[in-house]
Amino acid sequence: MRLWRGSGDLLHPGTTLLAWRNLSHERTRFIATLVGIAFSVVLMGAQLGLLIGFAQTASTLVEHADADLWVLPLGTSNSDIAGRIPIRRRYEALAVPGVASVDEYMVQFAFWRKPDGGSESVIVTGYSLASGRGGPWAMVEGTRADLQIDDGVIIDRLYQDKLGVHGLGQVVEINNQRVRVVGFTDGIRTFTQSPYIFTTHARAQRLARFSPEETTYLLVKLAKGADIDVVRRDLAARLPWVEVLPSGEFARRTQSYWLITTGAGAALLLAAALGLLVGTVIVGQTLYASTLDRLAEYATLRAMGADRSYLNRVIVKQAALSAVIGYAIGLAVTLAMVAYTRTGNVAMALPPWSLLLLAVLTLLMCLAGALISIRRITRLDPTLVFQ
Amino acid sequence: MKDAPLLRLEGVRLTYGHGATAVEALRGVDLALHAQQVTLLLGPSGSGKTSLLQVMGCMLRPTHGEVFLHGRSLAGASLEELTRLRLAHFGFVFQHYNLFPTLKAWENVAIALDLRHWARAKMRGEATRLLAELGIGELGERFPGELSGGQKQRVAIARALAGEPRILLADEPTAALDGKVGREVVRVMQRLAHEQGCALLIVSHDPRVEEFADRVLHLEDGRLDRDRPPAREPPCA
Repeated sequence: MRLWRGSGDLLHPGTTLLAWRNLSHERTRFIATLVGIAFSVVLMGAQLGLLIGFAQTASTLVEHADADLWVLPLGTSNSDIAGRIPIRRRYEALAVPGVASVDEYMVQFAFWRKPDGGSESVIVTGYSLASGRGGPWAMVEGTRADLQIDDGVIIDRLYQDKLGVHGLGQVVEINNQRVRVVGFTDGIRTFTQSPYIFTTHARAQRLARFSPEETTYLLVKLAKGADIDVVRRDLAARLPWVEVLPSGEFARRTQSYWLITTGAGAALLLAAALGLLVGTVIVGQTLYASTLDRLAEYATLRAMGADRSYLNRVIVKQAALSAVIGYAIGLAVTLAMVAYTRTGNVAMALPPWSLLLLAVLTLLMCLAGALISIRRITRLDPTLVFQ
Repeated sequence: MKDAPLLRLEGVRLTYGHGATAVEALRGVDLALHAQQVTLLLGPSGSGKTSLLQVMGCMLRPTHGEVFLHGRSLAGASLEELTRLRLAHFGFVFQHYNLFPTLKAWENVAIALDLRHWARAKMRGEATRLLAELGIGELGERFPGELSGGQKQRVAIARALAGEPRILLADEPTAALDGKVGREVVRVMQRLAHEQGCALLIVSHDPRVEEFADRVLHLEDGRLDRDRPPAREPPCA
């Protein structure tokens, strides 16, 4: 004869019921828990959103340039600050097998003098109108072709006020040289807060006081079927005093420069970790208080024959239910913040993978909070029911 | 009625603590519980009744002696094995009911079935059947806070009977109830024990319980000093 048996519903729906009732019957404590979790989700979400937003902004030029490989001056740490390379490198690059096209690309800081006085730092970006590679995107007024107008430049609407521009056709100065605003983009942000000013490559050379024989980057497009690693190696071997990087690698280098070397990323990650810690402490504290209040009930379950895993399930499900509801509330607030920042200079970005990451972090946070309660329950003596 | 005992204790001793501070709660108890038998355990406070109940209910392991469940020795069983044995073979009724206040009456009963891995679809029907058996079928939707003491104890008895355990252990089941309700509760327990073939042990101070017992044990200072049939007439309270 077997002294015990097990069959049927192994999921123990009773543990879910107990978990939910334990939470919902202590409304004040439950609300406090949810507020704590939601606050934590918002804090983590905001910091994560800013981090991703900053990263995307920092490398936005690289990611929108439509180049397979970038040829850059040796020692270039990010796309916004570059030295000079001779234009003739373009022709040398074109001779490398597997290269379909090479375009000059200018990126250089300059001073923008506002019409009503004062000046701002800007980043002049010059590209080849013929290929369009490296040009502005998200045009909302004017066209790229308008850059053929003498002295034409395109700016982003986000920085219109900052640059003192009231509308199309306005004449301003960059490095004491006259330019005319011929178009607007919408949503091209800059990490440095020095707005990107798009113009032709030749005009950018003039504005940045480069000689016609110099540029900052070469954008390489590969021929169909060419092996990017082979072409990269051949370019590096043939072109002296330059570095050749795939777009993705240059984007990551730029992101890590702005986010790591400036400490901005560390500050954001620290704040996110703080949110995680706050949430863990709040969940841990409220769950433990609830567990202590219900020790007699847990002891009754133990006396009735509940094993440790049954009691642990009740605690874990309480934590998980709190996590799901707290996450939903926190996510709603965070997404509202993301939507609000779409029109600002600093944008938060939360792609689907980051929402999943946030959900996992929230769940782990709540489960970590449950550990103290589980530890207490594990040592519970069923004879407590007789006291 | 006098089949092989469901539960048997042989020379059970239980000592709390060590050395000079050791306290001997049970001093060699021999006892057997049989199916369809209602046993009343009487004894003054501190006589070891609760300790004996805990040893019989597989919550404590004796310091010496052996416990046999369905003839099998439990010596060497781990705490988790004892937990599984409690679940499979025992039902408990507590002095203060120990119902889950956040669960409705039928859910309190269903929890005992959930522990035994019953399918979700069958739990409600069985819980309702058990409540009806105890005469409170219509109260299934109420929370414990909405029930009287007697009704709560009936829910607790229904919970103890869920899963058809063969051994029912009741700790002062009438202590929190008035005389009439207390008698009614014990009467129901007695009836169900006889009908379902359970061994029922009631630990009580209440002399009115004796009229429902088949056998009365007296525990004194950790020893069973009397094992007698119940008095015909209940003694005056």
